Amino acid sequence: MVEAEVLVIGGGATGAGVARDAAMRGFSTVLVDRDDLAMGTTGRFHGLLHSGGRYAVKDPPSAAECMEENRALRRIAADAIEDTGGLFVSTPWDDPAYPDLFHSGCIEAGIPVEILSTAEILRREPRLNPRISGGFAVPDGAIDAWKTVWGCALSAKEYGATILNYHRITAVHRSDGVVTGATAVNAISGEEVAISAGFVVNASGVWAGDVANLAGCEGVTVLPGKGIMIAMSHRLVHTVVNRCKKPADGDILVPIRTVSVIGTTDTEADGPDDVAIPQDEIQLLLEEGEKLVPGFRRARALRVWAGSRPLVKDDKADDADTREMSRAFALIDHKERDGVEHFLTITGGKFTTFRKMAEVTVDRMCEHLGTARSCTTAEEALPDSGHHRFYWLGARLARREETLNDDQLICECELISRRRLESAMEQRHTQNLDDIRRTLRLAMGPCQGGFCIYRATGILHSVERLDYSAANSALLRFLQERWKGVRPILYGDQLRQARLDDWIFQGLLDVEHLT
Amino acid sequence: MTAAGPGRVYDALVVGVGTAGLVTALRLAKQGADVLVTAKGVGATHLTSGTVDVLGYTPERVVNPAAALPDFVRDHPEHPYARAGLQAVGDALDWIKLQLPDGALVGSLEANFLLPTAVGVPKPSALAPETMAPGDLRNGGRFTIVGLAGLKDFYPAYLADNLSRARLGQEDNGRVEARAVTISPPTGGVADVTPMGWARRFEDTEFRKTVIAELEPSLDGGAVGFPAVLGLDSARTVWQELNDALGVPVFEIPTLPPSVPGNRMARALRAALTRAGGRVVMGGRVIGVRGAGERLEEVVVDAAARPKTYRARDYVLATGGFASRGLEMDSYGMVREAAFDLPVTGMPPNAEARWADEYLAAHPAARVGIGVDDELRPLDSGHGVVYENVRVAGAALAGAEPWREKSGEGISLATGLRAAELILERRGG
Ligand SMILES: Cc1cc2nc3c(=O)[nH]c(=O)nc-3n(C[C@H](O)[C@H](O)[C@H](O)COP(=O)(O)OP(=O)(O)OC[C@H]3O[C@@H](n4cnc5c(N)ncnc54)[C@H](O)[C@@H]3O)c2cc1C
Ligand SMILES: Cc1cc2nc3c(=O)[nH]c(=O)nc-3n(C[C@H](O)[C@H](O)[C@H](O)COP(=O)(O)OP(=O)(O)OC[C@H]3O[C@@H](n4cnc5c(N)ncnc54)[C@H](O)[C@@H]3O)c2cc1C
Repeated sequence: MVEAEVLVIGGGATGAGVARDAAMRGFSTVLVDRDDLAMGTTGRFHGLLHSGGRYAVKDPPSAAECMEENRALRRIAADAIEDTGGLFVSTPWDDPAYPDLFHSGCIEAGIPVEILSTAEILRREPRLNPRISGGFAVPDGAIDAWKTVWGCALSAKEYGATILNYHRITAVHRSDGVVTGATAVNAISGEEVAISAGFVVNASGVWAGDVANLAGCEGVTVLPGKGIMIAMSHRLVHTVVNRCKKPADGDILVPIRTVSVIGTTDTEADGPDDVAIPQDEIQLLLEEGEKLVPGFRRARALRVWAGSRPLVKDDKADDADTREMSRAFALIDHKERDGVEHFLTITGGKFTTFRKMAEVTVDRMCEHLGTARSCTTAEEALPDSGHHRFYWLGARLARREETLNDDQLICECELISRRRLESAMEQRHTQNLDDIRRTLRLAMGPCQGGFCIYRATGILHSVERLDYSAANSALLRFLQERWKGVRPILYGDQLRQARLDDWIFQGLLDVEHLT
Repeated sequence: MTAAGPGRVYDALVVGVGTAGLVTALRLAKQGADVLVTAKGVGATHLTSGTVDVLGYTPERVVNPAAALPDFVRDHPEHPYARAGLQAVGDALDWIKLQLPDGALVGSLEANFLLPTAVGVPKPSALAPETMAPGDLRNGGRFTIVGLAGLKDFYPAYLADNLSRARLGQEDNGRVEARAVTISPPTGGVADVTPMGWARRFEDTEFRKTVIAELEPSLDGGAVGFPAVLGLDSARTVWQELNDALGVPVFEIPTLPPSVPGNRMARALRAALTRAGGRVVMGGRVIGVRGAGERLEEVVVDAAARPKTYRARDYVLATGGFASRGLEMDSYGMVREAAFDLPVTGMPPNAEARWADEYLAAHPAARVGIGVDDELRPLDSGHGVVYENVRVAGAALAGAEPWREKSGEGISLATGLRAAELILERRGG
């Protein structure tokens, strides 16, 4: 039995943000996710810390909100942010009337915007198509979802919260129209855990309709709008590059660490768990990439993934009383909507605005609970970001150079040393190499684990004292996970690497006959 | 020698210095042919385990490849073994053992060894270096697996854990008992020593003494398995000395590339070829060919400074598969053979249907390659011979999934030797 004042369902950015905010305002809080944290839409997003430029023409209030939150996240989550800056450039395929609208939209939304000449843009980003005609600089950035979400979770923990990852909520308890807690099932052991909580926040993203149903609040429809992204090897650009046009498919390239990610698309998914990758969308992204960076098709594609945006369609309630702040996210008050008390659903929005969404949600909760406590999440930095220094690509190399002679390099692509790997394993205390991958970006570079996965398995076997079958399934599961991300983009150098990996894992190690 | 030479025409031009190319060239050179080998870079031989896997799974584990092969080629008529003929497989194993130094390869086509891989799976191989053979698990036994503290590519505890549970099937008797020991011989303060770095250290007598001294107290009479880093040029001496000093059978277990035993094999083949008078142009990527009707006339090689043209009576394409860029696929899904631009067969037209959902499943696109007739000559989609003076050997061939079948070096040897024999036969012996 777990007891808390507040139960937050869903450990994506939104839920982790809510848990941190609630804990910082002094509520005893428990955060629950059916998977590891940030494995839903949050771990599958594009990595862009929006300046708001993308919404400057279409949705000025969203744009302004993005810029405000961009500033807040720079204050509190520096370690998760790479301050790349952003460009909006016009290619020959883009509407020549758009740049003027864009410029005035940015000014209206309070987004710092600088007009750049073609020559200046090409000086900054020499790989861009020389046929572009001018553009703008805005304060976009790149943000790491795992670092941010784990930062929020650890901060919440410091304020006394409990984190229950790998726990799926299977029932929400109600008594006389008041929500009183939930039942969670441990996804690894199958054990049931009863959670008693005076207030429940449903932050389960595209699954929010299902979770609302568990509380008997029916008819909350969340349509999953699926988008795919492809990580290309190397930094083809060092700045976030957006096409200066009405937002569409494949028009943003985000540099993240050692890769560049192109995205995205938008189609209605077959349910919240549909992450299938259609070939025609890959071709579309490559086509658009070629317009931004000539030769894009010959660059190496490393990994492809899909995630779904939660788009709320609530027929039952009218906009005025259920949607707070901006049309970009939905705070559903189930007391007003369904007569169910102490239950809120918060979904939609963007990664960039998660902190704001959390603040609005906890404000509403305080109203319901008849207590006034103020929010401090926009000022206090996350645990690893107290130094207020943005993440810098050279950091790993610099750290690596310091220990060159006394530590082994386990992942050559992402420069992960044996000691860092071992301490991450000890901290996470997991039998799942994919958890380690997300914590350290292990195996996310060009070789996609060809070398380090065997090493990591051997190390995990000894650090966690696994028996042979647990270690084998960690290895095999990881290979299968990796396969899902490369299968749709097997061509060029990535196919070559995949074949080398076939030779290593099957030809040499014969892993398919592990017991 | 100048470009194109004043009319110089080689007897044979071989493209690629992997096992297939080297074997073809060596066989031809030994018969006195004037052979030129050109290759963009080294082959996969440097990365392999050093064993010669001929047929390991069909998908059941194969005990006796000689007995299993007739059914296998009947079921897989497009397989390189079917194209080369079964005779070629046996001939190639007999022949290669004679070309390499004593003990470089032992074993036979009639019985697969079961040798531990670096994750502790007993893998079926027809031939293996003598330095690996005592690791054979077919009769069970007691094993001590030795790790080196400064080697990140070998995890003895994990290996031993699996080895003790390895399923050896009914044909095998005896249980496997395995345990792990890690030693920390001096590395000169370096945390990360590469397999090649270890091999050099093992060639040093003083270093071996420290290994022996550290290991002796923890031996229990069982055979001792080391990662395959026991010396490069003098592996036989290193191995024999460890056997003698430790008083128990010592063996090597191959691990991640770059591979020390793979390098030994590649070096031995290159040395034999040089002795036989074959000439190798490294850095020579083939960028184009000129054909006339059914014959390939000349080959353009992108050598050091400028393209050179070479002419030969016969050509052998041994450029490997996707792993060596012998085959390439572009982002539209078009597959191309990179050197001679030969037709490629076996690619499912529908992108969604190329690869299975499960990584370890059979993949429809895995058998892509060059289709050949039973004289190993490339075929077009209408089954016509493209060039009658071109043979294809090794991993470039269509019809196999060698990493699953465990048939990599077996295919390269059999088709490489067969290509040479066909050229010699045509030439009238
Ligand atoms: C393709 C794409 C690209 C995007 N790119 C950007 C971008 O560049 N910048 C940006 O700012 N935003 C971006 N977004 C938007 C952003 O990713 C999302 O708005 C945000 O991540 C949503 O977070 P969340 O926490 O609400 O949802 P999620 O991250 O999906 O979290 C919900 C969680 O609930 C859990 N859950 C579900 N059911 C249960 C249950 N029964 N019990 C327990 N737990 C449960 C899930 O496991 C999941 O972890 C993108 C979205 C998509 C789809
Ligand atoms: C990691 C790994 C582990 C393996 N383990 C085993 C094992 O345990 N057992 C086993 O039996 N087999 C194993 N193999 C497989 C075996 O080594 C290969 O199947 C075999 O060596 C292929 O030989 P090949 O000569 O056909 O081609 P490769 O060895 O691939 O050689 C191709 C050659 O062609 C050259 N080339 C390519 N394109 C051009 C061009 N355009 N112009 C000029 N030259 C060109 C290349 O540079 C290279 O020299 C392994 C392979 C790998 C990669």
